[in-house]
Amino acid sequence: MQILIVEDDLEAAEAMDRGLSEAGFTCTRTADGEEGLAAARNGGFDVMIVDRMMPRMDGVALVETLRREGDQTPVLFLSALGEINDRVTGLKAGGDDYLVKPYAFAELIARVEALARRRETGSVQTLLRVGDLEMDLIGRSVHRQGKEIDLQPREFQLLEFMMRHAGQSVTRTMLLEKVWEYHFDPQTNVIDVHISRLRSKIDKGFDKPMLQTIRGAGYRLDA
Amino acid sequence: MRLPRLLRTTPFRLTLLFLALFAAAASAFLAYIYVATAGEATRRSDREITREMRSLAGAYDRAGIDALNQSLIERAASERPFLYLLMKPDGTRISGSIEESPLESFEGEPKWATFQVTDLDVQGREIKHPARGLQEKMSGGEILFVGADVGEDEAYVIKIVRALWGAGALVVVLGLAGGIIVSRNVSRSMAGLTEVVDAVRNGDFGARANVRGTRDEFDELAEGLNEMLDRLERSMAGHRHAGDAIAHDLRSPLTRLRARLEAAYLDVEAGKGDATQALAQALDDTDGVLKTFGAVLAIARLQAAGQAPDQTLFDPAELAADIAELYEPLCEDKEIDFKAQLDPDLSVRGNREFLAQALANILDNAVKYTPCGGAIMLRVRRRSSGEVEFSVTDTGPGVPDNDRARVVERFVRLENSRNQPGAGLGLSLVGAVAEAHGGRLELDEGPGKVGEVGPGLRVALILPRAG
Repeated sequence: MQILIVEDDLEAAEAMDRGLSEAGFTCTRTADGEEGLAAARNGGFDVMIVDRMMPRMDGVALVETLRREGDQTPVLFLSALGEINDRVTGLKAGGDDYLVKPYAFAELIARVEALARRRETGSVQTLLRVGDLEMDLIGRSVHRQGKEIDLQPREFQLLEFMMRHAGQSVTRTMLLEKVWEYHFDPQTNVIDVHISRLRSKIDKGFDKPMLQTIRGAGYRLDA
Repeated sequence: MRLPRLLRTTPFRLTLLFLALFAAAASAFLAYIYVATAGEATRRSDREITREMRSLAGAYDRAGIDALNQSLIERAASERPFLYLLMKPDGTRISGSIEESPLESFEGEPKWATFQVTDLDVQGREIKHPARGLQEKMSGGEILFVGADVGEDEAYVIKIVRALWGAGALVVVLGLAGGIIVSRNVSRSMAGLTEVVDAVRNGDFGARANVRGTRDEFDELAEGLNEMLDRLERSMAGHRHAGDAIAHDLRSPLTRLRARLEAAYLDVEAGKGDATQALAQALDDTDGVLKTFGAVLAIARLQAAGQAPDQTLFDPAELAADIAELYEPLCEDKEIDFKAQLDPDLSVRGNREFLAQALANILDNAVKYTPCGGAIMLRVRRRSSGEVEFSVTDTGPGVPDNDRARVVERFVRLENSRNQPGAGLGLSLVGAVAEAHGGRLELDEGPGKVGEVGPGLRVALILPRAG
């Protein structure tokens, strides 16, 4: 997987590079907006990580230019600005996800992974399948090994998200943002409780647990 | 040259303006009175002269020139104020009380004359009186002149004119005096306010305007000014306090972090042991610092913005239900009985995200402090005032009465909660969110003691009526 990093803080870019390389990505680093634009125009990237504030051309202008030119490569914005407004501006400009600095590596990698993978599933799916777990998006039903599992609406959404990102680690913040659509951190681990409820429904009584807890990162649904 | 301060004041200028308007109106009124009175005086004497002429002409027609002459002599001897002159058709005097007609020419038609008569006063000095007269030709050709001294009428008019001038002067003097008194009063009232503004400008934020208790607009202004200054002072104190608090709350974990890293570094350098655990701890510490920092920033931004951005109209019950759904499993895990009572069909205007976070913070606290087997109740309702109230009642230990105001302040955590996680910013953020929506935060006692624990806490976030 090819990642383009557009970040003027060279030390941060290098750390990012190292972390992502360890996770199996190949990174190209550029240090300002114009350089980044030139590299992006050459193409071949699966995900771009773009800092919002940079010399010469800021991240928003860079992404707007690329989108106008028809480039649909997923973009993860990095920013020291954490306000809702800033997030909205970033997403409106054509960004696909938004991460506020400073971030944990696990968070960055999980989000890059999610963006890279999202690209592979182009068509609209009506049936999700992970191992012996099946989700019917039209009938709103879930079966494991043919046995129906009864889920609350939110549990259904949570499982759907986990299934769409099967095999990837997903952080608590990601779940809160994508499933609940909240952009704040609750002080207590409310998400953990929801996950453990879901786990007890899809894993209890089956020999192989699917919903894994990844220490220091979050959760992963494995086949 | 600058006018004296008093004369530059708005009330004084207004007084002058009103005075000018009033003087103009009064002049017009007085002029009308003058014209009406003076004209009436002339008309009255003319009427009397005409009547006298008619009566004398009647006597002439009935009894001839001798009878007329006789009655002229009689009348001149009486106290009647008429002047007579009877002349032959060629104008030579026959008899009368004046020597010659004041008219220089006479063609036989009745003719009016305005002239002066000379009189002697008590001391023998000559005084001239204004007079009016009518000259007519009798049927026999003789000419009769009847006049009257109108000096008294004239004097009356002059008196009126004098009175009018006097009244005008009085109006101006009284108006000016009134204006000066009003201006001085207003100036004195303003001076207090100006002093306060000057004091604040010079950095004395404790200065307050004097409220005199007269309930007038100056009192209102003074109260408004004081309220504004109170708010400003609170906010400044908040910032100052926040600075200290940030320093305190960030410095201690940063110190801990540094010490841990240093110890780990020394250990690794000495070749003993593995730094993994120290690093993991350091990461945890860093996350804690970042969380505190984030909360401080959020509060500071909200307070700086004054009003929450991106406000929309939405159903508070829906928002509360969402948050309730997020926290319900947590309560169940802790064996806390969680209930939500959400009144439908209400609407509030606000920033959904901030309000969600505020509600989450209140519930976070409730779950944190409510012991196993306790209960938490989330309510959304409309108060009788029309305000919308989100409230969370728990059966935890509660907050002592005298500490309730303090826990809303930044970073305040009561002693007995030091062992619980959290940076002590939860309720401060809720308070900031409430304020940014023109609402407020209220803390009350909960339902009372439940077993060993009590009396519980009721936290209410109150938003103003939407629309």
